Amino acid sequence: MPITQFDAVKIGDTLGPQEIYLSKDQVRTYARTCGMDVPRFTDDEGARKEGLPGMIAPGNLSLAMLSRLVTDWIGQSGARLARLGTTYRQPVQPDHMITLSGFVTHTEPAEKRVEIDVWIENEDAERLVIGTASIEFP
Amino acid sequence: MAVDYDPALIGRVFEVTDPVNVSAEHIAKFCTAIGETNPLYTDEAAAKKGPYGTIVAPPSFAVTFRNGRHFFTHVPRFGSAGFDAGKDVEFVAPIRPGDKITLSSHVKEIYEKTGRSGSMVFVVVRSTVKNQNSEVVAHIDHRFMNRP
Repeated sequence: MPITQFDAVKIGDTLGPQEIYLSKDQVRTYARTCGMDVPRFTDDEGARKEGLPGMIAPGNLSLAMLSRLVTDWIGQSGARLARLGTTYRQPVQPDHMITLSGFVTHTEPAEKRVEIDVWIENEDAERLVIGTASIEFP
Repeated sequence: MAVDYDPALIGRVFEVTDPVNVSAEHIAKFCTAIGETNPLYTDEAAAKKGPYGTIVAPPSFAVTFRNGRHFFTHVPRFGSAGFDAGKDVEFVAPIRPGDKITLSSHVKEIYEKTGRSGSMVFVVVRSTVKNQNSEVVAHIDHRFMNRP
């Protein structure tokens, strides 16, 4: 559920989970749109030559999906995403289901700021990407 | 292994990129690429009633601007394989259609870490993203991981 106002946010509130089937076409579209048109992001054979298990998603796409998880949750509340930090622990491989999730770890009433942990899991519940986000209310 | 590099490298800005013109079409393509359907980013009429009064780009659009072709010739690689290890982004102001975006980057930090898989060297590149009014729209710390 999107949030409405700062006072309604509680530690432990959850974002998502959003389950997404990340297709190879989606990854290629991202890579081409963003000038990252290199083999590791566009074709399995080329990626294997670089020692990867197959095509992977750019870190920036993972960042964009986690950013969207947060802005979906912000909804029409007027809050803004002020900071997002990501760590790419393992490659995100397309043609698999991934799950985006998050939860509120801290609220700062003086600054109307909310701190959130976010992450992307694969089908084996391994956290491929982890991150933290801050949102601020006006 | 000690990391060996010229300390004069830290903090030095090698170049500012040529401006990239942002159009509503450019933003719409980006939204398609990330599966974004929020009308604040895609629909002029809905965006007019939103907090910015116009279409703005989704925050993560700020990380799509590339360094100049020559930037990485200045950055020590410490080995062959370079991987994107993560980013820390501070979103300062929205990017709007009509903006002309430039990037200036410097090496912020170089450090070594030993993990289960052996030694890794991290190079942190800090980029400042500005619009045509010299307003900062984002600060990005980008961590590159290399195996020496």
